[in-house]
Amino acid sequence: MKKKVLSIILGVAMVATLLAGCGNEAKETGAAGNTDGPVYAFVSKSAGNPFNERQATGFEEAVADIGGKAIIQHPEAATADAQITVIQSLISQGVDSICVAANDENALQAALEEAAAAGIKVCSVDSTVNVASRLTHVNQAGVTEIGQCLMDAVYDLTGGEGQWAVLSATSQAANQNAWIESMKEIQAADSKYAKLELVEVAYGDDEPQKSTDQTQALLQNYPDLKVICAPTTVGIAAAAKVLQDQGSSVKLTGLGLPSEMAEYIGDDDAHSCPYMFLWNPIDLGRLGAYTSAALVSGDITGAAGETFTAGDMGEYEIVTAGDGGTEIILGAPFKFDPSNIEEWKEVY
Amino acid sequence: MEKKSLLKKITGSREASLVIVLILLCIAVTIKSPNFMSAQNILEILKNNAVIMIMALGMLCVLLIGGIDISITSTLAFAGMTIGMMYKYNKIESTLLGFLIATAMGAVCGLLIGVIIAYGKVMPIIATMGFMYIYRGFAYLVAQDQWAGADALGSFKDFTLSNSLSFGLINNTITVTIVCYIIFFIVLKWTKFGRSIYAVGSNAEAAEISGINVAAIKTAVYTIMGTLAGLCGALATSVYASAQPNMQTSKEMDVIAACVIGGVSMNGGRGSVIGALLGALVLSVISKALPLVGINAIAQNTIKGVIIVAVIILNVLTQRMMDKANLENREM
Amino acid sequence: MAGKSGRTISATPEKTLKKALLSWEGMLLLLFIVINIFCKCISPVYTLTNVLREMPKYLTEIFLMFPMAYILLMGEIDISVGSTVCLAATVACLSSNAGVPFVGVILIALLTGTVCGMINGFLAVKFRELPTMIITLGTQIVFRGIAEIMLGDGGSISLTNADGFRAIAGKVGPVPYIFFLVIICAVIFTVIAEKRVFGRNLYAIGSNPKTAFYSGIKVNQMLFISYTVLGFFAGLSALFLTSATYAANTTTGKGFEMDAIAMAVFGGISTAGGKGKLVGGIISAFTITCLRVGLGQINMNPQVILIILGTLLICAVLLPNISQSISDKKKKASRA
Repeated sequence: MKKKVLSIILGVAMVATLLAGCGNEAKETGAAGNTDGPVYAFVSKSAGNPFNERQATGFEEAVADIGGKAIIQHPEAATADAQITVIQSLISQGVDSICVAANDENALQAALEEAAAAGIKVCSVDSTVNVASRLTHVNQAGVTEIGQCLMDAVYDLTGGEGQWAVLSATSQAANQNAWIESMKEIQAADSKYAKLELVEVAYGDDEPQKSTDQTQALLQNYPDLKVICAPTTVGIAAAAKVLQDQGSSVKLTGLGLPSEMAEYIGDDDAHSCPYMFLWNPIDLGRLGAYTSAALVSGDITGAAGETFTAGDMGEYEIVTAGDGGTEIILGAPFKFDPSNIEEWKEVY
Repeated sequence: MEKKSLLKKITGSREASLVIVLILLCIAVTIKSPNFMSAQNILEILKNNAVIMIMALGMLCVLLIGGIDISITSTLAFAGMTIGMMYKYNKIESTLLGFLIATAMGAVCGLLIGVIIAYGKVMPIIATMGFMYIYRGFAYLVAQDQWAGADALGSFKDFTLSNSLSFGLINNTITVTIVCYIIFFIVLKWTKFGRSIYAVGSNAEAAEISGINVAAIKTAVYTIMGTLAGLCGALATSVYASAQPNMQTSKEMDVIAACVIGGVSMNGGRGSVIGALLGALVLSVISKALPLVGINAIAQNTIKGVIIVAVIILNVLTQRMMDKANLENREM
Repeated sequence: MAGKSGRTISATPEKTLKKALLSWEGMLLLLFIVINIFCKCISPVYTLTNVLREMPKYLTEIFLMFPMAYILLMGEIDISVGSTVCLAATVACLSSNAGVPFVGVILIALLTGTVCGMINGFLAVKFRELPTMIITLGTQIVFRGIAEIMLGDGGSISLTNADGFRAIAGKVGPVPYIFFLVIICAVIFTVIAEKRVFGRNLYAIGSNPKTAFYSGIKVNQMLFISYTVLGFFAGLSALFLTSATYAANTTTGKGFEMDAIAMAVFGGISTAGGKGKLVGGIISAFTITCLRVGLGQINMNPQVILIILGTLLICAVLLPNISQSISDKKKKASRA
C-alpha cells in the first residue's frame, strides 16, 4: 500500500517538476537573448582534431568581423548521432544559422529539416549533407579538382608508369570516396595515365595502428609499388612514418596537415613524402561564416548563380554541385613542399 | 610412464591447444601470403601490437582477482597526450623523463581506480566505466584540440626506432614488451604477491582469513594496470609518432578479448602469463593477416569477430573435454 | 526495537516515509528536481517544449535500459545491443528502400533485433561458463560487421521514402509518440519486476544463481527470454532512431550499450545482480537526459559533460557505500 502511494507520489512529483522546471512557455520566443545581432552556429565533425579546430577558429574570426555571436560545437564523437544531439540543442537555442561539417551525408536530414522548419538557415562545410537538408555547401575545392591534383601528383612521382595504391580513411568516408572515385575516372579518361595501375584501395579507419598494418600490407603484397596516395590526415601521417622508418623507396602523397607532416616532407630519400596538398581550414571556416551571414541577411538564398562578398576574401559565386544541389568553392588545393612546409607547420 | 605424463601435459593443457590454433592460423595465412613468417613481418607484428600485448598483462592480473578494467585506453590517452603536449611545447626534452611521467600518471590514475574499487567497494565495471569517460575527457582537455605530431615529438619518437636497450639486438618496443613479460612471469609464478593475486581471485574470503590484505592487493593490481596503461601511452605516442586524444579508443575490448582467448577466466583465479601472451598473439596475427590475405575491407571486422568468437568457444569446448577426461580418470 | 511495541507503532508511518525519501530512489528524485531547477537557471531555453523536442534521441536509449536492467539484475550483461540497433536500422532502411510497406518494415526491424537477441541468448545459455560480457563482445563486432557488409562501400543508406518513419516521429501536442511508449514500457517492466514471479526470479537468480537453479527456477529459459526481449527492444529503438535520421550508417547506435548500462547503474541497479529497482533506473534515465539536454543548451564542451557523467556514475555507487560503512561502524561501536 505504502509502496503504491509512494510510487504515485514519485510519479506526480516527477511530472510536476518537469512542468515547473521547464514551464513558462511565454518566455520561449526570443529566449536566446540575441538582441545584439544574429547567432551563427558551427558544428564540427568531432572534438580533438586540429583541422576541425582551425575551421572553428576561422569561423569565429569571420563572425567577429561580421558582427554577431558565434557558437562553436564539437560533438562528443565523430558520429552522426552525436551531431543530431548538438543540432537539436541549437534549434532550442533559436540560432539563426547552422553551418555543419557532416559525419554522414544522409543521417542529419531529419534534424536539419526540423532546423529549416524553425527558420534556421542551414549550410554545410567541408563534408556535405544531402541536397534536401541544406541551402548550399561550402566546398574546400571541387571534387574533380582534388582528384586531378592527386592524380597529377601520382603521375609525377611514379614517373608516368607503375603501380600505385590508395590508403583511405574509413570505407564510408564520403569525401574520401568521392575523391578516390574522381581519381579513378581521371585515370580511365586520359591515355596519359594508361601505364599507371591502381592496385588497391586500403582503409586504415583513421586509426594509426590499423593504418600502419594496412600500409605494411600494401608494401608486402605489391613489391613493385611506387606510390601511395593517402587522402586523409591520419592515414598519411601513419603511412609516412612506416615508409620513412623502413627507408622504403615507395613515395607518398595525398592530403595532410602541415604540422603533422613536417617531419616527413622532403625531396631526398630520407623523407617519404615529396609534397602533399590541403586547403586552408581557417579560410574554409571563414567562408562558412560569411556564407551563413549572407544566408541570414537574405543576400543569397542558396540558388546557383548568386554572388556575395565574403569580407576580405573577395567575391564568391554559388555554382551547381555534382549532387544536384549548389555549392561554393573555396579555391584550388594548396601544395605543401619542402620550400614552404616550415612556414605552414606553425599555422595549422 | 614419465613420457606419457609429459605428453598428456602438452596435449591436455589449454595453452597447448592455443599454440595449435596459433600455428594453424599462421600456416593458413602463409599459404595465401608466403612472406608472412619473415623476420621483418614478425617484428612488425610485435611492434604494432606491443601496446595490446603489454596491457594484456595488467588485464590478466585484474581478471585474476575477478575484476575488470575498461578505462585503460582512456588512461593511455591521458598519459600519452599529456607527454605529447609537453614535447610539443618544449616543456621536456628527455625521452626517459617522458616515459617516467607517463608511467607515473598511469600509476596515479590506476591507484585512484583501485582505491575506489577496493575501499569504496564500487563494482569494477562501474568504477572503470566512470573513469573511462573521465580520463578520456581529461585527454581531450589536455589536448585542447591539438595533436602532437612527428615534428613536435622530436627525439622521443626515435626511441621505438632504435635497438639501444638491448644493445643493438632487437627493437626497443619489443625489448620493453619482453621485459614486462619476464617480470610478470616471475612475479605471478614465484612471489608471494603473485600467489596472493591468485588467492584473492579464487576465494577472496578465504584469502582474507589466511591473512592476505585483500583490499591492498586489489588496489595494487589496479595500480599496476594503470602503470602499464601509462607506459603504453608513452609507447604508443612514440611508435606512431603521434598523440591524439582519441588514441586507441575501444581497444580495451581487444585487450580483454586477448586475455579471454588466452584462457584467462573472467571469474577470477585462473589464467597465466603464457595464456595472455598467446591470446594477444592470436589477435595480433589476425589483425596483421586480414589485409594481407586480401579479404574485402568491409568484411574484415566481421571475420575478426567470427574468429574471436570461434576461438573462445573452442576454448570452452577443450575445457569441457578436459574436465570430462579428468573425471573419467578419477572414476577409474 | 521489537520489544517497545508502543513506540514502534507510532513511529512506523514516519519512519517508512523517511526511509522512502532516504532510499536511493528518493535521493534520485530529489536529484532530478535539483537538476531541473539547475538547468532552468543556467539555460534560458530550457522549456518543456524544447526538452520534449530534444528528448526522442535519448528515449531510444531509455528503451534499451528496461530489458538491460533485467539482464543486469540476473548478474549478466549485454554490450552488443548498440550493434544490434545498427543492424536492425540497416535492415529497416534497406527493406524500406526495396519497397516493403511500412508495416512490413516495422516487423522486419523487430524481427532482426529479436533474432540478434536470440543468438546472444542461445550462446549465453549454451556456454554458461563463458561470461556474457565476452560473448556479447564477440557478437558486438559481428553484428556491426554484418551491418557494414550490408551497407556496402558507401557505409550509409538514406531512406528513399521516409513517410512511415515521419509518422512514428509524430507528436501529440509537444509530446512525441515515443514518450508515451517509453512510459507504457516503464510501467509494464516495473510491474513485472516488482509484482510477478518472473521478476522475483530475476532477483533470485541475481542473488545466487545456484540456489535459484536448485529451487526450480528455469535460469536458462529466463536468460534466453531476457536477451530476446532486449533484442526486440533494440529493433524498436532502431525504428525510432531511424525516424530521427532517415538513414542508417556504420556508426548508428554506437555507445548505446554503455549509455543504457550507465542509466541502469546510476538508478541503483547493481551489475553484480540481485539489487536495485527499476523505478530507480527510470528516474535516473530521465535525470541524465535532462542534465545532458540542459548542459547541451549552454554549449558546454561535450567532453566535460562526459567527465561530469562519469563522476556522477562513480559517486552514485560510492556515496551509499561510504555512508553504509560509516553507519556499520557506528553500529559496531554502539554495540561494543
